[in-house]
Amino acid sequence: MIRTYRAELTKLLRRRVVLVTLAAVLLFAVGGATILLQAADPAGPVRDASGGTPTLQSLAAAGGGTDVFRVAVAFTGTFLFVVFVGVTAAEFSRGTIRTMLLRQPLRARLLAGKLAALLTYAAATLAVTEVLTWVAARLQASSAGVDASAWVSLHALGAAISDYGVVLLWISGYAVLGMALGVLVRSVPVALAIGIAWAGPFEHLVQNAWSSAGRWFPGLLLEAIAGGGTTAVTASRALATVATYVLIAAAVALVVFDRRDVAA
Amino acid sequence: MLTYAPALAVEGLTKRYGDRAAVDHLTVALPRGVVTGFIGPNGAGKTTTMAMLLGLVRPTSGTGTVLGEPLERPERYLGRVGALVEGPALWPALTAVQNLNVLARLSGHDPGRIPAALDLVGLADRADDRFGEYSLGMKQRLGIAAALLGDPDLLVLDEPTNGLDPVGISDMRDLIGRIAADDRTVLVSSHLLAELEQVCDWLLIIEQGRLAYGGPVEGFATEVGSEIVLGPVDPRELLALTDEVVAVDGHDPRRLAASLNHAAASAGIVLAELHVRRPTLESTYLRLLEGDPR
Repeated sequence: MIRTYRAELTKLLRRRVVLVTLAAVLLFAVGGATILLQAADPAGPVRDASGGTPTLQSLAAAGGGTDVFRVAVAFTGTFLFVVFVGVTAAEFSRGTIRTMLLRQPLRARLLAGKLAALLTYAAATLAVTEVLTWVAARLQASSAGVDASAWVSLHALGAAISDYGVVLLWISGYAVLGMALGVLVRSVPVALAIGIAWAGPFEHLVQNAWSSAGRWFPGLLLEAIAGGGTTAVTASRALATVATYVLIAAAVALVVFDRRDVAA
Repeated sequence: MLTYAPALAVEGLTKRYGDRAAVDHLTVALPRGVVTGFIGPNGAGKTTTMAMLLGLVRPTSGTGTVLGEPLERPERYLGRVGALVEGPALWPALTAVQNLNVLARLSGHDPGRIPAALDLVGLADRADDRFGEYSLGMKQRLGIAAALLGDPDLLVLDEPTNGLDPVGISDMRDLIGRIAADDRTVLVSSHLLAELEQVCDWLLIIEQGRLAYGGPVEGFATEVGSEIVLGPVDPRELLALTDEVVAVDGHDPRRLAASLNHAAASAGIVLAELHVRRPTLESTYLRLLEGDPR
């Protein structure tokens, strides 16, 4: 697993990939902070449990600066899910999974190492995103009418760590589900079509017709985790349900990958 | 160096897809240190056999060993096996060096061998170009460099000349020759029999998943039959010569040639030409497929 982990990081830690990631993160941080601060409800008291956008009052709290990060990142769920699906399915479509298996025939270790490397890269990217989003929000806070004096304190640091942890859990869920879909489908176009349709419109359409969908569908549950819970499901229940789905998806992907022939 | 401990041996190796047997009870052993040409028609089961040897495809039945380790435990032997199966599959956005770096880390091999591997396949001056920008021939060569990274004892190459131009094919033949010169065992499949004939010591021929021949190249030619080319100075004397030849040993072309020479001398016939012509691998192979055991 360590060998696979190091090999995957070698692919990810290329100058081009890192620079593109940093550029995207910078753009996202500035854009996300600007949009959320401008969209903050000036009349609302505090953020309710529906997972909506922050209010001026909630942003003025100690965790307001990193709450911007958490809410902004939550909007990228579908995109990140599709990235994990695509990265995994592409290994099958290109045949590089065959090349990898010739070097690491223990298939569970290969998948685990790949997932660990992707999550490490995602974790580092999230940390940079959180810092940049906080800085971007801090620079714009006064012009948006947000009192950011409480953003620099021990309470704010605690909130930042908590927000980071929640987002990391959220992205880990997407990573495992995305990789499982990529392993099962193996074709980039098909996997992306399923991934986009499922994580994008499908669950939300079902939610419109069936109010309890938010308690059972993985994409909606992950949104609930990132949003700190919704009216349909609490964050802790959403986390427990998603954890179950993730374990099942990981087990199915491992068994299928381990037993299936890898040929062109 | 040829030793009798087999580099790989399989017994009853079978792979079925539904009712169809892609590989059907294949039993064969390849000695170490030889270059074996693996030939057969399209769909005969060559790639499936190689994929089973490399742990990519699970056999339906049968047993075997690769470099002395059981076939069902590829993690025990793949570190000493280099392989290029179904074309070079590498990451197009990565350069040659970056690709080999990823593979070296994945297999636990020394990345310090990368320059030597690139040099051996003639890609040292294109090491920093992206794989996606390579020609097909360069991709094949990089695939072989990747297979050589671990200084393998056994090299498995599936159609390494696929899509190459004549110069590329010649380069690939030379490269396989250089690799084999290091006492490595090489199993190489190709449809270019004339090229295989120049580098192979052994042959493994399968048809419809079954073994048609497994053994030395010379044995294959002898088994299927050689030709004697005979030319008297006066062609009209050829008929008289056939009257002189009463019995010859048809299983040994050298003795047959000697018998003919003796008969010609006895009849006072002067021969302008007398030699044993071994059939080419291609002609012998085609005769075998057509069921002509001549």
